[in-house]
Amino acid sequence: MLEIKNLHVAVGGKEILKGLTLAISAGEVHAIMGPNGSGKSTLSYVLAGREGYEITGGAITYRGENLAELSPEKRSAKGIFLAMQYPVEIPGVTTLTFLKTALNAQRRARNEPELDALAVLKLVRSKAASLNVPEEMLKRALNFGFSGGEKKKLEILQMALFEPALAILDETDSGLDIDALKLVADGVNRLRSPERAMLVITHYQRLLNFIVPDRVHVMAGGRIVAKGGKELALELEAKGYGHWTKDAA
Amino acid sequence: MNAIVLPNRRIEDWKYSDLRNAVDESAVAAAPTAAWTMASVEGAADIADLPAIMPRGEHGAMAELAIAAAKAGPYVRVAKGERAAVHLHLVEGGHGRALIVVEDGASLVLRETVRAADFANIAVEIVIGKGARLDHVRHAPQHDTVQLADYAVQVADGGQYCAQLMNFGSKLARTELHVVLEGEHAEAVIGGAAVLSGTRHSDVTIHVDHAVGNSKSRQSFRYVAGGHSRAIYQGKVTVRQRADGSDSMQTAKGILLGERAEIDLKPELEILADDVKCAHGAAVGDLDADSLFYLRSRGVPESEARSLLIRAFLEDAVTGIEDEKIRSEIWSAVEAALPAAMEPAP
Repeated sequence: MLEIKNLHVAVGGKEILKGLTLAISAGEVHAIMGPNGSGKSTLSYVLAGREGYEITGGAITYRGENLAELSPEKRSAKGIFLAMQYPVEIPGVTTLTFLKTALNAQRRARNEPELDALAVLKLVRSKAASLNVPEEMLKRALNFGFSGGEKKKLEILQMALFEPALAILDETDSGLDIDALKLVADGVNRLRSPERAMLVITHYQRLLNFIVPDRVHVMAGGRIVAKGGKELALELEAKGYGHWTKDAA
Repeated sequence: MNAIVLPNRRIEDWKYSDLRNAVDESAVAAAPTAAWTMASVEGAADIADLPAIMPRGEHGAMAELAIAAAKAGPYVRVAKGERAAVHLHLVEGGHGRALIVVEDGASLVLRETVRAADFANIAVEIVIGKGARLDHVRHAPQHDTVQLADYAVQVADGGQYCAQLMNFGSKLARTELHVVLEGEHAEAVIGGAAVLSGTRHSDVTIHVDHAVGNSKSRQSFRYVAGGHSRAIYQGKVTVRQRADGSDSMQTAKGILLGERAEIDLKPELEILADDVKCAHGAAVGDLDADSLFYLRSRGVPESEARSLLIRAFLEDAVTGIEDEKIRSEIWSAVEAALPAAMEPAP
């Protein structure tokens, strides 16, 4: 589904990704682990199409298409979803209005009929209930004044609602207590399916106790420096990143 | 009329609104008396002609000219304890005068609209009695003329003046408010927005004077400027000596949509008392890049995301309008003005 080949990315003229190669097939959950500054978030932003992240070499192919040519909104309509580490607070736009706008924009782009307000409400309510998201949250301004846990829950709610083909979770575990973490992991696990690929980016192994990956990649210095099965995460936990980052430097 | 000297950019207060460049002195001198109509009157409002003896508040330079030149004007009075809603429409430009009196314990919703097709220079006296309340919504439509309006507002003990100034810009448009909080617990809540496109201009200049203590003022403005337009906010708050316990806050924010647009925000404080609570803030910028990316990454196309963020920004400015019907009319005007303001410059 996603194939990243020898990817080089610069931000503000500084090279952050330095020849990253990675392939994910439908039905798989991959984890990327790495220390701070290894380029994890840069990878997530470049996959979502954020401006200012310049691809200086290599290629990203998503379902046979060159991803670099697509705007963020086109990528979204084609099934790419990035759950952000720091969801943005937008006062003045209520959460429900935003969900309806986003959902219908994606449907419009795919030439699917738009859903009316009632249909959206029903859909959102059913997804929210399964994630323990209180309805009151949907009436508040988007992420505005939300706690860290609430923001992450809303990201997962959006993932459940948009049903992406490729979901990227950027440090979704950061700032969560164990209960919130379980709830978020539950939401993610429920979305595992043979048609869907997931890329879980994390600093800590903890999240991977709850979202068990098929493959684990270790990232350091803008490259994948090691890969393996789920046991690699445990090895990392035991040995620390130093073991791998030495090679990268 | 004697020779007129028009305010120009060399006068600090008119720095951003060079009137001499916008209109001929002879045209100002020759302007007739402005004409108003009462588009609607509900409740217990008395409508009459201006009385021989008028209250006089502090005004700006051009208002003095209007006062000298205007030969007649409307007088709206709401007697003690009564309630009313009046829609005042300036149907023909020129020099105009008006008097609004809301007596003790009375309340008035004053909606003011302007045809704006020709030069207008109006001076309005507003007197708000003890415990009285005036809700003043001024809607200045988009035009290409010179529009000057100047209000002197006196607020007695426990009186409330709530103003909402909605500007869509003209060749040169300036609204001045001179509010004096004369009694304890008097309050002024002033807000508004400007949505500008093309080469339009809108200047809101406000002076709130906390003449006595335990009075409160709030100012909040939101500007969106596209094309080559220019939006100005000059807000000064004075807290007089011994006006302890005064509480004032000013915020003004602007979003520049046009590369050649300009927004000037100038909040100012003059505090002569010791025990006061005053704050001000102003910020001009582009749309927030993080917000824009967040929305786009969820499938919202860029133009729709921009418009969603601008609407959210402006909506804050109209929530202060209590009358639902007026609020929805104003919002429709905002919606109508936005596409032109968001248009990329040619």
